[in-house]
Parts: sequence; structure tokens; C-alpha cells
Amino acid sequence: MSYQNYVIAAYVVFAVVLLWDFLAPRIRTRQLLRATRLLAARKANVPSSPTGELPR
Amino acid sequence: MNRLLRWFHQLGSPPYFDRFAARWARWAYGAGLLVMAWGIWQGLFVVPADYQQGDSFRILYIHVPSAWMSLAVFALMAIYAAIALVWRIKLCEILAMACAPIGAAFTLITLATGSIWGKPMWGTWWDWDPRLTTELILLFLYLGIIGLYHAIDDRRAAARAAGLLAIVGVVLLPVIRYSVVWWHSLHQGQTISLLGPSKMDPSMMPPLLAMVIGTHVWFVGSLLARARADNLWREAGKDWVRKLGEATR
Repeated sequence: MSYQNYVIAAYVVFAVVLLWDFLAPRIRTRQLLRATRLLAARKANVPSSPTGELPR
Repeated sequence: MNRLLRWFHQLGSPPYFDRFAARWARWAYGAGLLVMAWGIWQGLFVVPADYQQGDSFRILYIHVPSAWMSLAVFALMAIYAAIALVWRIKLCEILAMACAPIGAAFTLITLATGSIWGKPMWGTWWDWDPRLTTELILLFLYLGIIGLYHAIDDRRAAARAAGLLAIVGVVLLPVIRYSVVWWHSLHQGQTISLLGPSKMDPSMMPPLLAMVIGTHVWFVGSLLARARADNLWREAGKDWVRKLGEATR
């Protein structure tokens, strides 16, 4: 194949950018769902005072 | 109300859109990847080399579809932004902003693969040619829209400001498209036409068609996945998101 290195380089760029395009939203979605889960767990673990007053 | 209209209204509901996007994004990614894999296989190993450019012409199979996508995605983003501005449809704001990084990715591929092809064919990585320069401006526009969207805390105000920039930026699209006609350009003129006669040999066309279809289908998958993430971000704290977070533990 003539100009083999140029052809390979171009297809590598294409593959890498599309891989990023595939992974970026998946990672973000996972992070968001994980953050939601951790926040819910933290809220569930906070002891609530029966009188509604802030703890001293 | 007919079924299509009802479905369209339902799609505007964030939990419904989340389920829809989660379900169809993977199918679109898979179908796009399959079609592109066939196109790349044909383009790299089956189609004969060009009599003048040799094998370097094979770069065209990723360069041309990406260039078309860079323009088409921008036009679609502007349409979504206009709908969002006029009718204040939140889903259209999300879809418009989800278009920006995908369009930027395709523009980056266009510029990089064009540069890689240009080195052996033109003898230079870059030239301030009208087509190349306007495509570079398009990349900066995409980056500007992404930056503006993330620079403002209020999501809806941010989407409106960035959407306005997208609408204004549409004037660049015909300039890019006709730059090779209006000015003397190192970049070749139109060689491929999907509807009319092409200057390209018919034996070289099927992989290109496959890549054009494949990149479009891939875009649908990416748009849904990115819109889903943005939708979850905007809806964070809502009950349905909390339940979804617990369900995906």
C-alpha cells in the first residue's frame, strides 16, 4: 500500500475521536447516577432530631 | 390526538426521554458501527487504488463523511436551537447542546484527516485556503458554543445564549460549502454528488455511501447518549433520577 503511514494515521485519528465520542457520554451518565446514589445514601444516614431542632 | 403526536408530547417528559434514549442509543451505535465497519473494509481493502493519488485517496472515506457531518450537525443544532428559542421546548435545548460536541468531533476529524492527506498530496500539512480556513472557523464556533453553554450556571439561560450563537453561526455553512466556487482554492471542487452525476468512479462509491449512512446513524446514537446525560444533569435531585441511580447500582 502506498502512503501506508498516512492512511493508518488518518484512520487512527478517526477511531480515537469516535471512541471518545462513545465513551464520554457513558462516563458522564455513570458519574451522574453515582453522585445521585451517594447523595441519597448520605441523606439517609443523617440522623434526624425528633423536635426538628438543629443538633448543638 | 394521533399516536405520533402523543408520542412526541411524551418525549418531552424527562423520564420518558431517558428511557427512550437509553434504549435506542445502543442500537444506533451498533448499527452505525456495523455499517461503518463494512465501509472501512471496502474502502481499505476492496476498492482499487486511485491512478493518481495511489492509496492516499482511501483517507477520503473518512474525511468526506466527517466533513458533511460537520456541516449537517451544525445545521441541525441551529434548527433545535431556533425551536427551543421560539417555543421554549426544554428537550430541544438539550438536543441542540448535545449536537455541539459531536459536531466538533467530526470537524476535528475533517481537519486532521485532511491535513494528513494534504501532506503527501499537496506537500504541506496546512494551507490558509478558504475551505480549510472556514472549516477551522467552524471548529472554533463549535468550541465557542460548548464554552458558552458551560460558562453560565443557569442551564436554560446558557442553552438560550449558546443556541443564539448557533443560529448566527449558520451563515458560515454556505460560505464553507461554496468556498471552493467563490475563491481560487487549493482544495478541490465538488467531486461527489449523491443525487447528481459524480466525477468519482462508480466502483469507489459504495464504501463512501456506507460511511455517509454509518456516520449519520452513529450520530443518532451519540446524540441520544449525550442528550440523556444532559437530561440527567438537569433533573438531578428529582425522584425518578434517584430511583434510577439506585436501580443501576
